[in-house]
Amino acid sequence: MDTRRRTFLKVLGGASAAGLASQPLFRAFADPPVASDEFFVLIHANGGWDVTLSLDPRNERRGLIEPGSTDTIDTAPIRRWRDAPLDSDSSTFEIIRPAGSSLRLGPAIGDLGDMPDRLTVINGLAMNTVSHPDGTFFAATGRHLAGGKPVAASIDTMLANEFGRTSLLPTVSVGYPSTFVGEDLDARVSPLLVGSVDTLSKMLNRSNVNTTAADRQAVTALLTEESRDLAARSWYRDELEGFGLQLEALPRMLSPDVQQVFNATALAAAQPTLFPTGRRFQARAGVNCAFAVEAMKRNLVRCVSFSSASHDTHNNNYRSQPLIQQELFDTIAALVRALDAAPHPTRTGRRLGDHTHILVVSDFCRTPQINLTLGRDHYPNGSALVISPKFVGNTSFGRADDDQLLPASAGMFADGDRPVAPPDLLATFVSAFGVNPRRYLRDGDVIRSLLRA
Amino acid sequence: MKTTLQRAAAAVIFTLGCNSTPAPGAPAPAPVTPTVDAGAVTPRSTEITPTPVTAIPGHELIPQDRSPKEPPRLMPAETLIRSYIALFGGLSPQALQVRLRGATSDNLFDTWGDYLSALGVPDYSVDIPRAPQTNALMLAAFERIGVALCERAVQNDLRGAVALGDRVLFRFELPADARALTDEEFATRFDLLHRRVLGYPAALAPDSRAPRFRALYQGAVARHADAGTRSFNGPEAGWASVCEGLVRHPEFHLY
Repeated sequence: MDTRRRTFLKVLGGASAAGLASQPLFRAFADPPVASDEFFVLIHANGGWDVTLSLDPRNERRGLIEPGSTDTIDTAPIRRWRDAPLDSDSSTFEIIRPAGSSLRLGPAIGDLGDMPDRLTVINGLAMNTVSHPDGTFFAATGRHLAGGKPVAASIDTMLANEFGRTSLLPTVSVGYPSTFVGEDLDARVSPLLVGSVDTLSKMLNRSNVNTTAADRQAVTALLTEESRDLAARSWYRDELEGFGLQLEALPRMLSPDVQQVFNATALAAAQPTLFPTGRRFQARAGVNCAFAVEAMKRNLVRCVSFSSASHDTHNNNYRSQPLIQQELFDTIAALVRALDAAPHPTRTGRRLGDHTHILVVSDFCRTPQINLTLGRDHYPNGSALVISPKFVGNTSFGRADDDQLLPASAGMFADGDRPVAPPDLLATFVSAFGVNPRRYLRDGDVIRSLLRA
Repeated sequence: MKTTLQRAAAAVIFTLGCNSTPAPGAPAPAPVTPTVDAGAVTPRSTEITPTPVTAIPGHELIPQDRSPKEPPRLMPAETLIRSYIALFGGLSPQALQVRLRGATSDNLFDTWGDYLSALGVPDYSVDIPRAPQTNALMLAAFERIGVALCERAVQNDLRGAVALGDRVLFRFELPADARALTDEEFATRFDLLHRRVLGYPAALAPDSRAPRFRALYQGAVARHADAGTRSFNGPEAGWASVCEGLVRHPEFHLY
């Protein structure tokens, strides 16, 4: 009888624990532990890029498709442009097939063409929109806008919520479409939205004209003690204890070593390969990438997300489209090399490149046909790029059709045969780190074939 | 004509209705005792005296719970900025910014716009809500702003002969002979600042607070004893530190 009672109580206790664990408050504790030494760089190729010049190259007139040519493009600065005949008075480009790779890339791919083993290309993304805001947030959140408002957390917020809760800076978002929407999000991971990393530099600047660092540290030390004392007297201690811990971290934030991370000049000195001379469009991307490397080296930040210079080229400015892309891809290639050269802050003997994951998306792509003003307009197809040790490199997934550049079937998903869409990409990305995509994403299937075993 | 007749009838009815004289021979009405005390002073039989809660039967072992029933919340950033403005001169945000930036290139302050995101101001255009709690960068911004506010207030109030009423924050005098303040003199001045910034007397704060701020003040005075290239002398640096300690205090930011 006694044994049966004990068994009953055990079952009852187990059921209660399961019930509690299903509540949002306890879900964080119930989740399996996930690695916390991964870093993320999320890039939004602003304005909608022309994928026919890079990730989904087209060099034939077919159906609606008018390929980029010497008539419409300034080819001189495009290093990988090799003329291929198009018609009697103009040339298009030769498609790049990196040695030992099955990837097909366009000439705007820049230095990324040298590292096909690192690239996972997603083509034929069903964007289902030609609106900049809608495409921007669809690519970052996996949900279209509702009433003009985002309705889900962005990918950087998702990742910060999983991996960055204890980071000094969970997410620094430089113009990225970051959103903080959802029930299970930790308040600490609300994205820090800034116009540029220099903005952060201003907050960390201190003047020593009247008082000294020692004076300020004395104040901080006093306030740390005050916070602790108030916490000890309080019923609700979390906020005051958090205040005290953050005050303790303040001297570290203000150390010269950390201040360099937020200073463009210091970043240029630390990462000169990300600041080549002559950049016309993506100089800010270089600053943001250098910030990512230096901040991650110091374990200050979990996610860095930023938007690039605009690819929105409706008119004659389309002539610069491949250069805009080439500069962005060159910058990303330099970022990958810098990460490979940087030591991991917490894993001895490992490189940052082994634990940093890059996702590049855009609003949508541009029309396959050239318009009357020699530009390309918005088109509801898209491509994305993943550079991650968790993903199978040298791979292209999904496709756009040959005649109209519209998303074509990528295979059988849970809801049938259809093209790949941003929610699938985001679900796959977060699941690569052991995160259940349904915590954040209403839609999207995990594409297992893209993930390394 | 019809109206005149109606008026006459109404006057008769009114006159009859107002006539309270009892009819001859009718019995006098019994006196009515008011059911409520209409203001008469009557002695109270017993007086209620304050009693400790534990003396109430059944409460001997029940402690009185005085703890707050809400966790501290972060002051909205807009309120925080309004508080800064109100405490440090009551200027418009733009005018205060001009004062904080100063005429010299001492790099004390940038612009309010540079600090808004760090202070947790929401950006509803991208659905970023207001920051519900502090973070390390927010505290760095508090320090940046607090230093600028307090150092400018010291420069305005404690230098030259500024009338007390014209001072921004430090509405007290320092010893003319630059001697060190006694504990009592410090406590009086600290209480003034404590009331102004945190809103209540320093005597009601935890016992450790005043000695801590006293030590902070003395430390800054000692560090600036030989000011050298610094523009603040000992007392100025001391009061700047005390001011920073109050405007960066958790009780200033949480409620």
